[in-house]
Amino acid sequence: MKETKQQTEPIINLVNISKTFDDGAQILKDINMYIRRNEFLTLLGPSGCGKTTLLRIIGGFEEASSGEVLFEGSNIAKLPPYKRRINTVFQKYALFPHMTVGENIAFGLQIKKVDQKTIDEKVAQMLELVNLKGFQDRRIESLSGGQQQRIAIARAVVNEPEVLLLDEPLGALDLKLRKGMQMELKKIQQKLGITFIYVTHDQEEALTMSDTIAVMNEGRVQQIGTPVDIYNEPKNAFVADFIGESNILQATMIKDYLVSFHGVDFVCVDTGFGENVAVDVVIRPEDIRIVKEEEGMLKGTVESVTFKGVHYEMMVKSNNYTWAVHSTAMAPVGAKVGMVLTPEDIHIMKRG
Amino acid sequence: MKFIKKSYVAFILLIMYAPVAILMVYSFNDSKLPIWKGFTLRWYEEIFKDYSIQQAFSNTILVAVVSSIIATIIGTFAAIGIERMTGWKKSLVMNVTYIPLLSSEIVTGVSLMLLFGALGMTPGISTLILSHITFSIPYVILSIMPKLKQLNYNIYEAALDLGAKPSYAFRKVILPEILPGVLAGLFIAFTLSIDDFIISFFNTGPGVDTLSIKVFSMTRKGVAPTINAISTIMFGTIIIILITTNIMASKKQKKINKSNKSL
Amino acid sequence: MDKKRLALPYVIWASIFVVVPVLIIVYYSFFDKGIFTLQGYKQVLNPRYLGNIMDSIGIAFISTVICLVLAYPLAMILSSKEMSAKGIILLLVILPMWMNSLLRTYAWGYLLQDTGVVNSLLSSMGLPTMQFLYKKSAIVFGNVYNFFPFMVLPIYNVLCKIDKNVIEASYDLGADKFTTFKRIILPLSMPGVITGIVMVFMPALTTFLVSRLLGGGKTTLLGDLIEQQFNKTGDWAFGSALSVILMIIILITLVFMSKKDSFDKGGGLF
Repeated sequence: MKETKQQTEPIINLVNISKTFDDGAQILKDINMYIRRNEFLTLLGPSGCGKTTLLRIIGGFEEASSGEVLFEGSNIAKLPPYKRRINTVFQKYALFPHMTVGENIAFGLQIKKVDQKTIDEKVAQMLELVNLKGFQDRRIESLSGGQQQRIAIARAVVNEPEVLLLDEPLGALDLKLRKGMQMELKKIQQKLGITFIYVTHDQEEALTMSDTIAVMNEGRVQQIGTPVDIYNEPKNAFVADFIGESNILQATMIKDYLVSFHGVDFVCVDTGFGENVAVDVVIRPEDIRIVKEEEGMLKGTVESVTFKGVHYEMMVKSNNYTWAVHSTAMAPVGAKVGMVLTPEDIHIMKRG
Repeated sequence: MKFIKKSYVAFILLIMYAPVAILMVYSFNDSKLPIWKGFTLRWYEEIFKDYSIQQAFSNTILVAVVSSIIATIIGTFAAIGIERMTGWKKSLVMNVTYIPLLSSEIVTGVSLMLLFGALGMTPGISTLILSHITFSIPYVILSIMPKLKQLNYNIYEAALDLGAKPSYAFRKVILPEILPGVLAGLFIAFTLSIDDFIISFFNTGPGVDTLSIKVFSMTRKGVAPTINAISTIMFGTIIIILITTNIMASKKQKKINKSNKSL
Repeated sequence: MDKKRLALPYVIWASIFVVVPVLIIVYYSFFDKGIFTLQGYKQVLNPRYLGNIMDSIGIAFISTVICLVLAYPLAMILSSKEMSAKGIILLLVILPMWMNSLLRTYAWGYLLQDTGVVNSLLSSMGLPTMQFLYKKSAIVFGNVYNFFPFMVLPIYNVLCKIDKNVIEASYDLGADKFTTFKRIILPLSMPGVITGIVMVFMPALTTFLVSRLLGGGKTTLLGDLIEQQFNKTGDWAFGSALSVILMIIILITLVFMSKKDSFDKGGGLF
């Protein structure tokens, strides 16, 4: 992954953010994290994990029960949304139905009392940016979902916010449109150099677009890191399971560089867990090599085979555990096979 | 701010209910004049002796029951039919529906009176009922239409797909979905019928009084407290009915919540 | 089965009881005992009646404005609270109708008379008493009281239907509360406001009896005028002509409203 921009000082700092709703449900539990200027940060997690609430707290639509939102060092937790240099792209677009496309985009500029000529120019620029040149006078209801989404982005971006919040902006689009928009959003972000905070539950989307991913579950940040780190070095079983397919097993760390599971000792690359400590082990399905039974470190029986296009997905039963294995080579159902694991592919995690 | 908002709502409710309250109070007043002279129940006893008031009361209820039920039946089917219409036909029918709603009651009343005259009908209970049905139907239609718009038409098709006959599918699938709208329409039609004066005034015959016409005939000399008494009974009855149905509904809701939780 | 046919009974009913009566009124406005005449319409221009009509328009206009000014904030308060269920609001507004409107208007006479409850309250608070009744303002009050629900309900409904995200989007783009109200909430609630105005103005224009009950019968309004033609003077042509003019106003309103989609865009009564 190439780092084209300077990503240095934090623009937003979240300090001890907690949120309890009126009904007593604690949706955010002591969140501490920072977002660096110009980075594309994704809040990723299953529904109900608190990611949207966190976004709404940054946007000013929701007030945290405790904690501070620092924007360039000053606490904005009590500031109403219209006084923040932050704009939002809403999940269901939230375009103003009684205004034209042009009027929607011009809204924020008019509030700032920008002169009409500049407004017209900027609106035209924005429409070009989102590939909807000449749409100024269209009515909102005449647009498709994808077009409405672009207008919502243009309406927010035209205000040149320091930070743009996006709440599952592609959630309502179909798969093909989604893929296209992912690339476009990334391009827009790089071109304008705005900090993006992006909320999604789609791990693939997060891996494709983000500079940094914060994986959330049950109101806590589970792990923050680059997509590569998060994929390759998941911190715990939740992250491993949520990001991509994984085989997660209980194991014992015998000593540094040696772990034992399913009655076999494996050499690994991890250290610092202590001796004879219970740990979790993650092994990605594509990291398992299928070999002849007698050559395998583990032996098992193929239970099912599914063709997935690029590879086969096989379920292999071994020691009462069913492994997911991705391989370009296929072994038929019922075949006895061996499995080989290399030390780099065995990820050790603290037991949750 | 919250206090201001609450006070404002309370103020409006006070104005809306002030005359209701004063009429209730005067129904227990031991005087024909609107000056408090002490508590009595004699106006309530009087109802049992006053044949003309009993007659007016039973006419009011008869007209309200018959007209609201017929209006609800016609209106429910009409709403379903109109919902499936398209283009100019739909807008024509809808605009005709809005006519009695927007036009002044006096025009509706007079025009119906002229119609009944032209048809040679003797004004009386039947013309009252016909006119009340006419002004009630639009309200029924308008209270059902939003429910139909929300309705997922696929569920009806799914019922047909699963082998239900159209009439069975209607009863089991569509009706339960729009029932709140139908009941609201029935309630509104019934209420408007009881409340109506102007249209009844033009379409009733000699000797056929409703309560509102009885009130009108008394306005010059002063309304008899028996009217207050019978109105208080009606108002009290509907309050009791509403409270009991509400309690029953919330109990049912609690049960549903409980069983949901145990799942 | 063709579902459209379900509307057939209603279409027949509406033809007989809505459309035909309109035609009959049009007929009577032009024909007096079978002879064509424009006398009814000429009567309308009689300065005395024209004065009554102008009075009615004035009173209806003021009543509508007061209703709007009182109802809009109420509708906003009611729609902002999620806890107040929609059914209860509708009920609270409709419930007083279970006591006959004529009787309630009459009861305002008790409350507002010189020695009535309102004046007793005023004097007990050390304020000067006032004469409320037998003035045009009393008629306005009666109209506002009777037709207020028809202003509240459509505005309340349209406000409930505004997407909360749209309002948040406005804040997000830098608009404060006042600007958001002016540029987003108010324009989006216009269908309800229009419905409310029509549903208050039309009946207020043609109400009769309110003038007699609260106004002391000193002011003759359009509604009283029509009633007199049919029940007292027997000048059906004049009465019908007045009704036809009202009908035309209604039809113009309908065309205007369906152009604006007032009902479809959530400005309906329920």
